Amino acid sequence: MNVKLWTIISLLFMSLFVFNSCSEKDDNFSIWIGGSPEEVDFWEKVINDFNAKYDCNLILVRQPTYTDQRKQSLIISLEGKQQNPDLFLMDVVWINQFIQSDWLEPLDDFAVKSKFKTEPFFKRVLNLVDKYDDNLFALPVFMDVALLYYRTDLIVQPPETWEQLKELSLRIQEEQRKTNKSFDGFVWQGAQYEGLVCSFLEFIASNGGSILQNDSVKINSKENIAALQFMQDLIHKYKVSPENTYTEMKEEEVRREFQKGNALFERNWTYAWQLHNSNDSNVKGKVGMTILPHFKGHNSVSTLGGWHIGMSKYSDNKEKAWQFIKYVTSYEVQKQMVLTIGWNPGRKDVYEDKELKKKLSQLNLLEYVFDNTIARPTVPYYTQISEVIQRNVNNCLANKIPPVEALKEIEIEMKNIIKIYGEK
Amino acid sequence: MERSKTNISDETKTAYLFNAPLIIVAVVFVLVPVIGTIVTSLMRDVTFLPEKFLAVENYQRLFSDRHFYESLQFTLLFVVVSVSFELVFGLAFALLLNETLPFRGFLRVVILIPWVIPIAISARVWELIYNFNYGIFNYIILQLGISDQPVSWLGSSVGAFIAVVISDVWKTTPFMAIILLTGLSAINSDLYKQAKVDGTNFLQRFFMITLPLLKPVLIVALLFRSIDAIRIFDLIYVLTGGGPGGSTSSLSIYAFNYYVSGDFGYGSAVSVIVFLAAGLLSVLYIKFGKFRETLQ
Repeated sequence: MNVKLWTIISLLFMSLFVFNSCSEKDDNFSIWIGGSPEEVDFWEKVINDFNAKYDCNLILVRQPTYTDQRKQSLIISLEGKQQNPDLFLMDVVWINQFIQSDWLEPLDDFAVKSKFKTEPFFKRVLNLVDKYDDNLFALPVFMDVALLYYRTDLIVQPPETWEQLKELSLRIQEEQRKTNKSFDGFVWQGAQYEGLVCSFLEFIASNGGSILQNDSVKINSKENIAALQFMQDLIHKYKVSPENTYTEMKEEEVRREFQKGNALFERNWTYAWQLHNSNDSNVKGKVGMTILPHFKGHNSVSTLGGWHIGMSKYSDNKEKAWQFIKYVTSYEVQKQMVLTIGWNPGRKDVYEDKELKKKLSQLNLLEYVFDNTIARPTVPYYTQISEVIQRNVNNCLANKIPPVEALKEIEIEMKNIIKIYGEK
Repeated sequence: MERSKTNISDETKTAYLFNAPLIIVAVVFVLVPVIGTIVTSLMRDVTFLPEKFLAVENYQRLFSDRHFYESLQFTLLFVVVSVSFELVFGLAFALLLNETLPFRGFLRVVILIPWVIPIAISARVWELIYNFNYGIFNYIILQLGISDQPVSWLGSSVGAFIAVVISDVWKTTPFMAIILLTGLSAINSDLYKQAKVDGTNFLQRFFMITLPLLKPVLIVALLFRSIDAIRIFDLIYVLTGGGPGGSTSSLSIYAFNYYVSGDFGYGSAVSVIVFLAAGLLSVLYIKFGKFRETLQ
């Protein structure tokens, strides 16, 4: 018994050393990617192709599905100045914090040396999130925006303003409820999580409002009060959005409700399009897609989402890492990405691809929306601000506090956050 | 004389040797992190700002932070309510399983099932049970006609609190029951026989024999559960994420949110408070439980 136990223990120890020696081979470098299994499988294929083509040894490390957990594991490694990962994908809202924490390698020198051009990318997007102090720190791999989905069998013309959306919702909801009790006019993301900040930003910005401008807080404005009041009214006054909007409605909950045929309008990211038109969908062939509505006298806006690639400052294989960044953002791989997993490319020129345009009718619409997208506040303390907005807006949607009070509270808390984290 | 002296020191040496693995583990995995956290809590340790010694500034910020007090209040209320229910149900199950029942061995195993399921998984299961659209609770009340509208169980502060307590009680009552069961089986059954001869009823026997003799084990069980409950994280993280409106954000969730956002200094200060609260709780249990006396 004892001999057996010791054999097992010593074998375990030996295996530790064996694995260790592998990871110290100097031509290895790694990229951390998470997400759904299909996405990670796609990246695995891209990485295998890359390794074969350039005779490299890039290793894919699979991260969890959830965004927060992906960020958490990156923060721990980067804060600990680990050589791994060399490369990683970042959610757009992390980039500023990563830059200011001095974790990202500037890409300008690599770009100049290899004559890499940034023109094919969306200039607006690069300026909004990827550049800081005129240095380039990241490149978009896949981009996302929110759109308005509607039922083409129930209405002919999609609404242009929020007012029209409300009117149509009231009318169609009344008709539909005669046969389908769980039918709602408009489903959107209102639960207390990051997605709520995106919906909130779209409502206020489409009324000319904003959250933050050059470190000064602009949240408590009459535009924002009116927009937030409208959000609250959708649930409690007009009752066109369901009661669980502020408790449970995240992307997937919203998508499922619409896909079951239980809603006229839906706010969701671009990924919902393919799923709504899949074979097991109740609304297949009855779905239209357009830009989000706006308040009278203002423009439609959509919050920028998506994932960008960056290189760790602590990487010991930067030349090869740059090689992969170039490869991933190349025309060919980006086109392959649209065709395989349906993600929207980070390059503008791919949207002009003739073959793609024939297959995917929505590309023109997306190109337009990306040129008119807005970013969530690009400050390193964004997480704190987001938490404050989520909590107070959610409280307001739950009808616990009026919009004026919610925004006043956000203003106070945001000023406090800037006092703590704003100084250098 | 000479010989016995060396013998004693040899014995001491051996004792240290045998204890060494445990001491090393305790130092490396408990003492070092605790000291590290205390040191970090005195610093401005924010990923995107230069590091700076702050002394007690993080703590000042903490004690003027309304959300910290809300977290503290939620956590303490949770400890009191959930541990009380666990005690009552755990004791009931322990008494039941201590009787000679048919299939007793089988039942003792079955009752452990909730305890064996990983917390994250049981929390996910409970989340499905409470779900607004397809949860079984809403299915039942709609089918029975108790209400014609589904209830948003996790949508209100009170509902979410009750949901967290129910899930925790379900999950950890077996732990309480098994510990108390070992205590019960250690009580000499002759005592009960004698008491029965003296003509006592069940309640009298429970309060005169069972409870006093069970007390040391009871205190240990309460101590374990309270310390565990005061640092609750995983169940809430999966079930409510701290919502709605931050109303179920325990101290650990509160600290965690600061770690994730990159403020390790402030997060550490909250963690130190959790540590002190757990420490204070153990001291109180040991003092008022008259632990030393009952052990002797």
